[in-house]
Amino acid sequence: MNKVLSCGKPQLVDIQDTSHRVWILQDKTLIAVPRKHLTTPATIALISCRHVETLKKDRGNSVYLGLEKPKLCVFCEKVEEQPTLQLKEQNIMDLYHQPKPVEPFLFYHNQSGRNSTFESVAFPGWFIAVSSQGGSPLILTQELGKVNTTDFGITMH
Amino acid sequence: MQNELPLVGQPFAFNCTYPPITSGEVNVTWYKNSRTPISKNIQSRIHQDQTWILFLPLAWGDSGIYQCVLKGRDSCHRIHVNLTVFEKRWCDDGSRNDLPNLSDEYKQILHVGKDDTLICHLYFPKSFVLDSITWYKDCKEIKGKRFTALGIMLTVNNVSTEDIGNYACRARLTHTGKQYTVLNGITVNTTEITGYGGNIPKIIYPKNNSIEVQLGSSLIVDCNITDTKDNTNLRCWRVNNTLVDIYYNESKRIREGVENHVPFQEHILYTVNITFLEVKLEDYGLPFMCHAGVSTAYFILKLPAPDFRVYLIGGLIALTVVAVSVLYIYNLFKIDIVLWYRSSFHSPGTVEDGKLYDAYVLYPKPLRESQSHAVDTLVLTIMPEVLERQCGYKLFIFGRDEFPGQAVANVIDENIRLCRRLIVIIVPEVLGCGLLKNMSEEQIAFYTVLIQDGIKVILIELEKIEDYTAMPESIQYLRQKHGAIQWSGDFTEQSRCAKAKFWKKVRYHMPPRRRPSPSPVQLLQHTPRSHREGRWKDGTGFVTH
Repeated sequence: MNKVLSCGKPQLVDIQDTSHRVWILQDKTLIAVPRKHLTTPATIALISCRHVETLKKDRGNSVYLGLEKPKLCVFCEKVEEQPTLQLKEQNIMDLYHQPKPVEPFLFYHNQSGRNSTFESVAFPGWFIAVSSQGGSPLILTQELGKVNTTDFGITMH
Repeated sequence: MQNELPLVGQPFAFNCTYPPITSGEVNVTWYKNSRTPISKNIQSRIHQDQTWILFLPLAWGDSGIYQCVLKGRDSCHRIHVNLTVFEKRWCDDGSRNDLPNLSDEYKQILHVGKDDTLICHLYFPKSFVLDSITWYKDCKEIKGKRFTALGIMLTVNNVSTEDIGNYACRARLTHTGKQYTVLNGITVNTTEITGYGGNIPKIIYPKNNSIEVQLGSSLIVDCNITDTKDNTNLRCWRVNNTLVDIYYNESKRIREGVENHVPFQEHILYTVNITFLEVKLEDYGLPFMCHAGVSTAYFILKLPAPDFRVYLIGGLIALTVVAVSVLYIYNLFKIDIVLWYRSSFHSPGTVEDGKLYDAYVLYPKPLRESQSHAVDTLVLTIMPEVLERQCGYKLFIFGRDEFPGQAVANVIDENIRLCRRLIVIIVPEVLGCGLLKNMSEEQIAFYTVLIQDGIKVILIELEKIEDYTAMPESIQYLRQKHGAIQWSGDFTEQSRCAKAKFWKKVRYHMPPRRRPSPSPVQLLQHTPRSHREGRWKDGTGFVTH
C-alpha cells in the first residue's frame, strides 16, 4: 500500500463530477461521459507549481493538469476573444521545472469537501466546466452553478 | 470514435458538439456510413433535430457508424459514433437466466456515511418531457425513507455498504405526443474514503527548532506532514524564500530529497527530507523552511556547545607529550646538566660524611704486558691526572697509596669504608686470566659493597666485554645494577681532559666535585679531626702523606 513518489512526480488521478461522469480523451479532446463498465477514464496527471510565492494563495493550490498518456497538457487560450480550454502536446514535468510559472497551463485547484474546482490562472474567474447533462466536452466558463457544472471529484490512483 | 451501446426498442439520442461552439454560426449535418444524410423530417423514426440525431425507437438494423460534420465560419470538424444495438435482459424476463451483459451498464459510486445521489442518465433534446422515473434495486422497486427521487436523481441518505447492488431506473418520456420508456442499468458500489482536501496540512516536524550540528558534517532532516487524502498541496523545502534545489542549483550541496507517503485511514503521512552534503558556516542561523500548502515550519542550525571532556583529554595528552619530551631531553643531556649544575650551584667544600677519599680504585693486574701497561697508564697516570688534578677528587689507588708492610686485608677493608665510590676496572676474562679472582682485595671490596651496600660502584670496562657470563657473579650483579662505562681505549691528550665524554660519565657517577687542585696536605687539613682519630687509630700518620 505504501507508495513512494520521487521528488517532483505528478499525482495520477481520475476526475469525475457529481453526476458520475468521468473525463475521457476522445479525438484529442477531453470530454465528460457517464461512466459505464466499458469506459476507461483518462488518467490525469496533476502536479503543484513550485513557484507558489508568485501566485495568489487564497484561490487554492496552483496546479498543472495533463494526461499521463499521451503527454498532453490542459491550457487556456483566447479564441475569438473567448477564453477556451485546449490540449497541447507537452510534458507536464517540463512545465514543473520551468524557472517561472507558466500561467496558461496553471489552474487554481480549490477544494471544498470532496468537490474541487479548477480556475484558470491566466483568466481568473473562468473555470473548467462541463454541461450538466450527457457526454460533453470540457469547456471554460465563468457562469458558476447554472447550466454547467464546475465541481469535480478527484480519485487518487 | 465514440462507442455507444443503446438498447433495442428504446429511444436513443446523440448530440453533436465540439468546443468551442457558438450556436447559430455552426452548421451540423448527420450522416450514416459517411454517405447517407440523416433525414430532418421529425416524423421519421431516425431523424436529425438541430444538432441531435434521434432514434425513436432503436431497431436492430440501426447498428453502424454515424458521422456528424460541424461546419463553422472557418472550421470543420467530424465526429464519429459507433452504434451497437443490443438487447437487454431485464428482471421481467425471469424465465431466461442468461449471464447479465454489463457492457451498457452505468457505474456509479456512493460515499459511505454520507448522503449521496444516483443519476438516471437521460440525454435528450429539450423537446422530450420526463414524465416519471421508477428506481429498482436488484429487480425490486426502491421504497423507504432513505431514498428520495427527484428529477433524474435518487438521493440515498446515510450510505452504507448494504447499498451496493444492481440498480435500474425506468424513465417515461413524452415526445411529440408519443410516450417512450428508457431503462438504464446501474452497478452501484460504495467507497469509504472519508478524508478530503481543503483542510490545512499539519507539519509535525520541524517545529521551528534548532539543530546542533558540527561544521563540515553531513545532515538529513525530515519534514513530516499529515494531510488529507486527494490534496494537491505542494511540499517542499525553501531557504531565503527560494526552493533549496534552485538556491543551491550550482553546488548541489543542499538538496530536497524524495517524497514518501504512507496512507492511513483518515489522512496521509508525508515525509520530505533535506540533505546537507556538508554543513558550512553560512548555514548556521539560516531558517530552512518546510512548506506544505499554506503551512510552514523551519529549523535553524546551531554550532554544538563545546565539549569540555575533549579539551580535558587534549590537555592531558599535550601535558603527557611535554613531560615525555622533557624526560627524553633530560636523559639525553643528563650528564651535562648534572655536571653543569654541580659546577654552578654546588658549593665547594667537603661533605661531613666521615669519608676521606672520593673513590677507591680497584683494578686487575693482567699478566699480559700490553694490558698491564694499559691498566697502569689509566689507573696510575690518567686517572689521577683527570680526577685528582683537574677535578679535585681524592682517590685511593691500591699500589700507590697503601703503606708497605701493612696487612693488606685490613688496609683495604678500612680504606674502602673511607671512600665514597668504588671504581672497578675490568678487563675481558679471556685476556686477563685471573682477573681479580681470588684476590682478597676484590673480595673485601665486594663484601663491603654487596653486603653492606654502603658505597656506589663505578664499573669501567677497559675494553668492550662481549660475554659477562664468564665474569664473577659479583661483577655481573654490579653490571646489572649500576651499568658500566667503557674506556675509549686511547691515551691521547684529548682523553686526559676532564671534558672528554668518558670522564664526564665518570664524573657524573662521582660525588659532587671537591675543590679544584688541592694538594693532599691541604685536603687533609680540611678533613675533620674526629674522623681521623675515630677511624684511624693506628695509621693516621701514614695517611697524611
